[in-house]
Amino acid sequence: MTGDSGASATDLSTEVGPLRLRNPILTASGTFGYGLEFAERADLRRLGGLVTKGLSLEPLAGNPPVRIAETRGGMLNSIGLQNIGVERFLSEVLPGLAGLPPKVVVNLFGYDQDDYVRLAERVDPHPGVAAVELNVSCPNVSKGGIEFGHDPEILCNLVRRVRSVTGKPVVVKLSPNVTSPVALGQAASAGGADILSAVNTFVGMAIDTRSRRPVLSTVRGGLSGPAIRPLALRIVWDVAREVDLPVIGIGGIETVDDVLEFLLAGASAVQVGTAMFRDPRTAERLVDGLRERLQAEGVVSVGSLVGAAARPV
Amino acid sequence: MVALDARGKVLEVRLLPRRHFLLRIRVDGMEPAAPGQFVMVAGANQAEPYLRRAFSVYDQEPVGKGVVAVSLLGKVIGPGTAALASCLPGQDIPFLGPLGRGFRRSGRDGGCRGRAALVAGGIGSAGLGMLARALARAERPFDFYYGGRSADDLVEAAEFGRLSESTGGRLFRTTEDGTAGSRGLITEALAATLEAGTRGSTGAYETVCTCGPHGLMAAVARIAEEYGVEGEAAMETPMGCGYGACLGCAVELERGGYALCCRHGPVFDLSEVVW
Repeated sequence: MTGDSGASATDLSTEVGPLRLRNPILTASGTFGYGLEFAERADLRRLGGLVTKGLSLEPLAGNPPVRIAETRGGMLNSIGLQNIGVERFLSEVLPGLAGLPPKVVVNLFGYDQDDYVRLAERVDPHPGVAAVELNVSCPNVSKGGIEFGHDPEILCNLVRRVRSVTGKPVVVKLSPNVTSPVALGQAASAGGADILSAVNTFVGMAIDTRSRRPVLSTVRGGLSGPAIRPLALRIVWDVAREVDLPVIGIGGIETVDDVLEFLLAGASAVQVGTAMFRDPRTAERLVDGLRERLQAEGVVSVGSLVGAAARPV
Repeated sequence: MVALDARGKVLEVRLLPRRHFLLRIRVDGMEPAAPGQFVMVAGANQAEPYLRRAFSVYDQEPVGKGVVAVSLLGKVIGPGTAALASCLPGQDIPFLGPLGRGFRRSGRDGGCRGRAALVAGGIGSAGLGMLARALARAERPFDFYYGGRSADDLVEAAEFGRLSESTGGRLFRTTEDGTAGSRGLITEALAATLEAGTRGSTGAYETVCTCGPHGLMAAVARIAEEYGVEGEAAMETPMGCGYGACLGCAVELERGGYALCCRHGPVFDLSEVVW
């Protein structure tokens, strides 16, 4: 196994606003459970960070089956934010993650602004939580966070309220299902967000041609996987150029080239999601692969790549 | 039990009638699977479909120290299964397993001492292969009920006949078109045996284990309840990851809420599932 000590020539560490990561590879919310699901199958220690499954104040059972549908180059999901609730996470899961090297980013979602505020208050005292990520863009819960992610004024107010109750870095996860993700990113920035993550899943659907019915019980679901990568990359490019906040890129990332694309477009780090389902070791392999690639190309820091494709030659 | 995330080496692909196939894979360092457990696999260098496919372990045999030859019995129904069926001996393929919880009441260490009924619908027989062998090894009597649309759906019927007969049990076959066994549904054959058993002092079976289409397993659950027999079903749902991360494989429970097929299952008590 390659230790970090062997990487003297290449520094994989990255600063994402106030969040310092040992490398730019995180796992995306909803694709890594709470981290411990992978403990047997992946070397968690190697990651830059992990983002938990979205947590609500109370446990949620999630949506009825069918919840997932594989489509060309990706998958649709309608999990419905099934989760164990913030209290069980803090008492049962966080202690097992807190001692590990990766930064733990806690993804939060609520049904109204008060929920987000209470969640942020609840996790704020825990030193094992490195940052909070606000899920304001889940397409799978009616009345869920979605309206917060679609209205700049509401989003700005929500972020301001969360900002006022926590000293932890606040990440706002942007929805791609809006006319202008940039406008929402600017609103989050105005509200005091530290970091943007982009993007959440694209709303889509699939129909079973045998039964002639929608595959998902909720009809619509969120599309993820390689199919969305160019779409996500374009949004990261726009947001990184037009919003004065660091960006974490998300969307179909699976290979070292994918990671580089997002860094070059302006992301300071990336989250790996659906690729973890295909291969639970994807994220740790990307850490090794990125180090090898940067060493081979004589790149001394991740930071030197961030946004490089947007700079004049 | 720690599932192994590794690669398997294809030993053999045997093509069977009606697009069925038997895939034998050599896996180094794998813990033996328990009856009812499954693995996630994909074809060699497979780009599409994107996700791995879940397969019951149909059979396994040690082929050396810490090395297991795993047999998967499948049917080509889409591009994922087609990619597996077209694997060539010697190819390396992604392999994750063994996963999930297998048969409890009737498994390797299960408490069932009485007679068991194993009820398979079509390729669902793959999910009962390990169990049938475990029962045969333990000399616990069982009957094997095998239903399909047509004779070609009853793959490996001779093997299940041999296993059940080695315990003093027998093989019941039904097909909807009457090309093998008796014409009709396999659940009717199960109900007939149980009905006959009510005329004896004890029921015909202590337990019933099933794997097959959802409708068949739901019918088995109804019949088992009617005759007061406990039992288990090896469930199949769409799965993203196979190890509890994607939360996609929800099975609705009678007590409320959902369980993940990949972690709580794939084997469930017949009475705990909302059919």
